[in-house]
Amino acid sequence: MFIVYFLAKVHNPEIFSEGPTKLSTLAGTSNTLIMLTSSFFVVRAVISMREDKRKSSVRWLWAAVTCGVLYLIIKYFEYEWNTAQGLSTETNIFYAVYYYVTFNHFLHVGWGTAAIIWVIYRLNTGIYTKEEHEGLINIALYWHMIDLAWITIFPLLYVIR
Amino acid sequence: MQMTHIKFIEILWIVLIVLTLFSAYMAEQAKPGFDSVAIMALVLAIKGRIIVDYFMELKHSHYILRTLMQLYFYVIPALIILVYLFPDQIAAWTVL
Repeated sequence: MFIVYFLAKVHNPEIFSEGPTKLSTLAGTSNTLIMLTSSFFVVRAVISMREDKRKSSVRWLWAAVTCGVLYLIIKYFEYEWNTAQGLSTETNIFYAVYYYVTFNHFLHVGWGTAAIIWVIYRLNTGIYTKEEHEGLINIALYWHMIDLAWITIFPLLYVIR
Repeated sequence: MQMTHIKFIEILWIVLIVLTLFSAYMAEQAKPGFDSVAIMALVLAIKGRIIVDYFMELKHSHYILRTLMQLYFYVIPALIILVYLFPDQIAAWTVL
């Protein structure tokens, strides 16, 4: 995905220099802060589980889910705002890459959020214990990977001109 | 002991937030140039390492797993700088 970005950029330097100026830095920054905060909440959920504080772990996970939903809402309105500016996948190669990368990430946040809700359900049924909570660890790692992808996307598409 | 770990994670979270706000400031204020590109690449490397090492807790994991993940945040920042410095050469090498 990032190789596509770099290749498109070297072949279209002017378009990629101009592209980020028309995107909403506010939306990109807000979603970065939300993703980082959600990752922090997931870390706290894992720490709580290790301390055998199941209810606390569930609360931290719901906080992460809230962040996930907030991210999706902001991204939806960002796309709407782009459309109002006349930006689409066909505007130029920068926006084609932008929609390819960010919509891909949007989908991962969507089903990542759904997976966290599934882990909350599993926690509430008492399947996970202080010693054995591999499902929670797995979704935590998956969520951090989504976060890592976004902190890479943010400078590439919104910051570097 | 556990309180110390939580406090440490909270401090890292604040560092990540501050670095993000700094990036947003750069996006709006800084003039495009090598300095701003290099700083953005460094910020990305730092943020990535914090998440890989401490949020994912890979700092003390198996070295292959750890190195593969950490490598990601050497390669991408390096590509950002290389693409800025040598766009024409890279473009010439990647023509079908």
